[in-house]
Amino acid sequence: MYVFLTIVSVISVFPLYWMLISATNKSIDVSRGTMLPGLALIDNWKSLLSQQDVARAMINSFKYSIILTLCALVICSLAGYGFEIYHDKGKDAVMSILLLGMMVPFVATLVPLFRMFSAAKLLNTTVAFILPTISTPFLIMMFRQSARSFPHDIIEAARIDGLNEIQIFFRMFIPTMRSTYAAAMTITFMNAWNNYLWPKVIMTTDESMTMPMLVANLTEGYVTDYGVLMLAVLLCSLPTIIIFFLLQKSFAEGITGAVK
Amino acid sequence: MKRKILSALLCVAMTATMLAGCGNSSNESTDDKNQEATDDAAADDTADDATDDAAGDDAADDSAAGGDKLTVWCWDPAFNIFSMEEAGKVYQADHPEFSVEVTETPWEDVQTKLTTAATSGDLSTLPDIILMQDNAFQKNVISYPDAFVDLTDSGIDFGQFGEAKTAYSVIDGKNYGVPFDNGAVIAAYRTDILEQAGMKIEDFTDITWDEYLEKGKTVLEKTGKPLLSCQAGESDVIMMMLQSCGASLFDDEGNPALVGNEALKKVMETYAALKEAGVLVEVNDWDQYISTMNTEAVAGTINGCWIMASIKTAEDQSGKWAVTNMPSLVDVENASNYSNNGGSSWAVTANCQNVELAKDFLASTFAGSVELYENIISCGALATYLPAGESDVYAKGDDFFGGDAVSAKIVEFAGKTPSNNTGVYYYEARDAVATAMQNIVGGANVDDEIQLAQETIESQMQ
Amino acid sequence: MSQVKEPKKRKMSLERRHNLTGWVFLTPATLMIAVMSFWPMIQAFILSLQTGKANNLSFGDPLANYVRMFRDNVFTTSLGNTFLYLIIQVPIMLILALILASMLNNKDLRCKGLFRTAIFLPCATSLVSYAIIFRSLFSVDGFVNTVLINLGILNTGYNFLGHATSAKIIIIIALVWRWTGYNMVFYLSGLQNIEYSVYEAAKIDGASPMQTFFRITVPLLKPTILLTAIMSTNGTLQLFDESVNLTKGGPANATITMSHYIYNMSFKYVPTFGYAAAMSFLIFILVAVLAFIQMKVGDKRD
Repeated sequence: MYVFLTIVSVISVFPLYWMLISATNKSIDVSRGTMLPGLALIDNWKSLLSQQDVARAMINSFKYSIILTLCALVICSLAGYGFEIYHDKGKDAVMSILLLGMMVPFVATLVPLFRMFSAAKLLNTTVAFILPTISTPFLIMMFRQSARSFPHDIIEAARIDGLNEIQIFFRMFIPTMRSTYAAAMTITFMNAWNNYLWPKVIMTTDESMTMPMLVANLTEGYVTDYGVLMLAVLLCSLPTIIIFFLLQKSFAEGITGAVK
Repeated sequence: MKRKILSALLCVAMTATMLAGCGNSSNESTDDKNQEATDDAAADDTADDATDDAAGDDAADDSAAGGDKLTVWCWDPAFNIFSMEEAGKVYQADHPEFSVEVTETPWEDVQTKLTTAATSGDLSTLPDIILMQDNAFQKNVISYPDAFVDLTDSGIDFGQFGEAKTAYSVIDGKNYGVPFDNGAVIAAYRTDILEQAGMKIEDFTDITWDEYLEKGKTVLEKTGKPLLSCQAGESDVIMMMLQSCGASLFDDEGNPALVGNEALKKVMETYAALKEAGVLVEVNDWDQYISTMNTEAVAGTINGCWIMASIKTAEDQSGKWAVTNMPSLVDVENASNYSNNGGSSWAVTANCQNVELAKDFLASTFAGSVELYENIISCGALATYLPAGESDVYAKGDDFFGGDAVSAKIVEFAGKTPSNNTGVYYYEARDAVATAMQNIVGGANVDDEIQLAQETIESQMQ
Repeated sequence: MSQVKEPKKRKMSLERRHNLTGWVFLTPATLMIAVMSFWPMIQAFILSLQTGKANNLSFGDPLANYVRMFRDNVFTTSLGNTFLYLIIQVPIMLILALILASMLNNKDLRCKGLFRTAIFLPCATSLVSYAIIFRSLFSVDGFVNTVLINLGILNTGYNFLGHATSAKIIIIIALVWRWTGYNMVFYLSGLQNIEYSVYEAAKIDGASPMQTFFRITVPLLKPTILLTAIMSTNGTLQLFDESVNLTKGGPANATITMSHYIYNMSFKYVPTFGYAAAMSFLIFILVAVLAFIQMKVGDKRD
């Protein structure tokens, strides 16, 4: 089992390793396929900073992603809980209809959405970044599916103790479902962070640029500096990886004591 | 019960406030932008009126009336953005109030943003000037004629640019673009490798593809290196060959003209023969293509002159490269050793609030300042503005290319390049031809594939 | 009599109350989806009935776009490619993710955090670097060919991305590589809702790991498996990134996906939004039908 897991891990980590190596090498060496660490990290760093406002893109990406993640978690978990705990035919039907919402390719709804946001004068704002994905059928369904294992006895007991429905949600459901929240947070943050097509349509100023947009800028020239590019790509990948690493304990070793 | 609904509502309200809170942080900048956008819309009409009768007017007056800043979208800080900012400085010398504000936007994003804005009917998000790929000019101007400003009577002398270059941005006899960077095709060879095969750069100057093939076989045999590498699935080489004889994939009415196109058939056969002999190797992407040159896996390349910047990143190969013209097609009318690949031009959008300023700016920089082109040659930006080619700076030798005055050479190539009809459906045709070429290399019949490609394009033109 | 009726009435109102609370809970999310997804979808649908280029659209024959796509050989190729990915890749990926998740759920395993993070890494790794590295790994003189030649399996380098079948296989490998860790996350979090004592009891009863996996893990994870199956079906039918970045749809459209072609029709070629919207609605219908079947099969409450 260790052998299998190690092989899978090595295959999975290899590109990150390559990214790290490339970020420390000069472009020409990356292009020649080096696999050894180089000495150009500081030069690449200076070059990246001279070309791009990395700090601003980082702050933007963090701002958009964190706000979106928090809003989405509240709205969607509330709905998922509502759909499952109070489920009846009507709500199941609504859930099925909502699921349809994620099935049309985004390219098709891009222009109508853009028209909506430009009419509302919301281009280049955080609101425009978060609203289209603040409520996703996927997240709702995720919470709905996991609420299925939330014991009804707890709810009944809590009601007898005089807690109202909202209190049950915040005091009983959220703590119990920590593993689901942690997983949902990781996934939502990652999707928000890597979102590219939508920001590239609505963000038209340098001030609102995100990290993936910054990376795209680096690949567009006649000459691509691969060392600098890989450094930027590394910076762009790190936040999600760190968040995963910090949260993985919560969702993989969730404290299920409350359920027991 | 009431209390519970109340608390539920409270929760909704909470979320709503959170949402509102999200917006606040960036609202200020938005408001400014929106204000501008509204102004733009209002200014549009006046600007349009002005366009008609203001050609040749003293633009300084206009600029005073409508602000002194121009916004620009373009990509590549080391090249296009650098050039635009230099142009800003040149113009500032006479107009101290003037400034340009460049937003770095990759070409693909420029296209996406342009299409989205034009389709949704709200052009207010566009900047004053955008840089546009030459190949996309016909498509964009014909699709969205209201999004661009006609520059024909702007006082810019388009005759001072290479004819083939200007032709990209002429639609229905009107000029929509100010030509910028040069895409004249060069053939670059590793002289040291050629030497091993007993050849010199002169042996590859003014030759035909047949000669190229024969010499390529010799080089391959003696050194094990192919002469040329290119990306599979991209039609760059095919399009370069086609344009070298002035041929196109469309007829004058814009209908696809692949079937019965002798030039195209010859091009495809030539390509297949090169591939078959191993003189041409295909790689799968751009990065590998660059890598074949940097790792000395090939003895040369043929591409737009901007490829020199990538070649030069291998500093240790300095002095080992030389530049000459590309081979010409055999048995084809108007065959020449000159062509074009890539390059871009500046377009003024209909959202520009001060069209006169934009016109005057472009006319006195990219279309009128040899000094500008002298300043930006350091980044490798070569002019299609012919007077610049006569500058002393262009006559200077480049040690990387064995002391040859490559810049002047390229301007000369650009002047000799035949123009052809890009076609509105250029990208459709380009992809269909690439597909056909891949099938032909895989063994399919040339005529069948050309027929199929034509049908694909016709179907996509609906 | 009245004493009997009283609690029943109260119960009714309690149920209604809960029912109402449920509706209130799901209102914000539902409203947002209605405005941000359904409204644009309706507009896209209206668009799909219009033919023409750029802004010169007109309602001619309302079904013209829908008929057209089945005569469009690039589109039918992309439809075939996408389904091939769906049929082969989704099951492999989900099973692998399940196996990995149940392995990593083992309490006695050491370095769990590291393994988990390692396996999750691919989907957090930026697309740009992942595309570059996959292409270079499988290039003619790339790592994979070097290994195969050294093992004596190949004589000369094989251009994996240059041949139709091998290019498709590479897309599938790339998809499995990238998304297995992502799906594993859902299974891992789903497994936390199964009490560990169930596993311990099974162990005491002498159940083999295989039996435990099929008799306990899979049935108890059913809601999560349904979720990931629907998500993966949706994701695969809308597949875009791999086609664009790894192979550019090539060689000769052998790997192009429907979304890639729709994107080309909207932004690369002369804009044909009506036709693009019609193709999008075909994807919508396909996903909806598949998801409906999956829901019917998998979404039963015990």
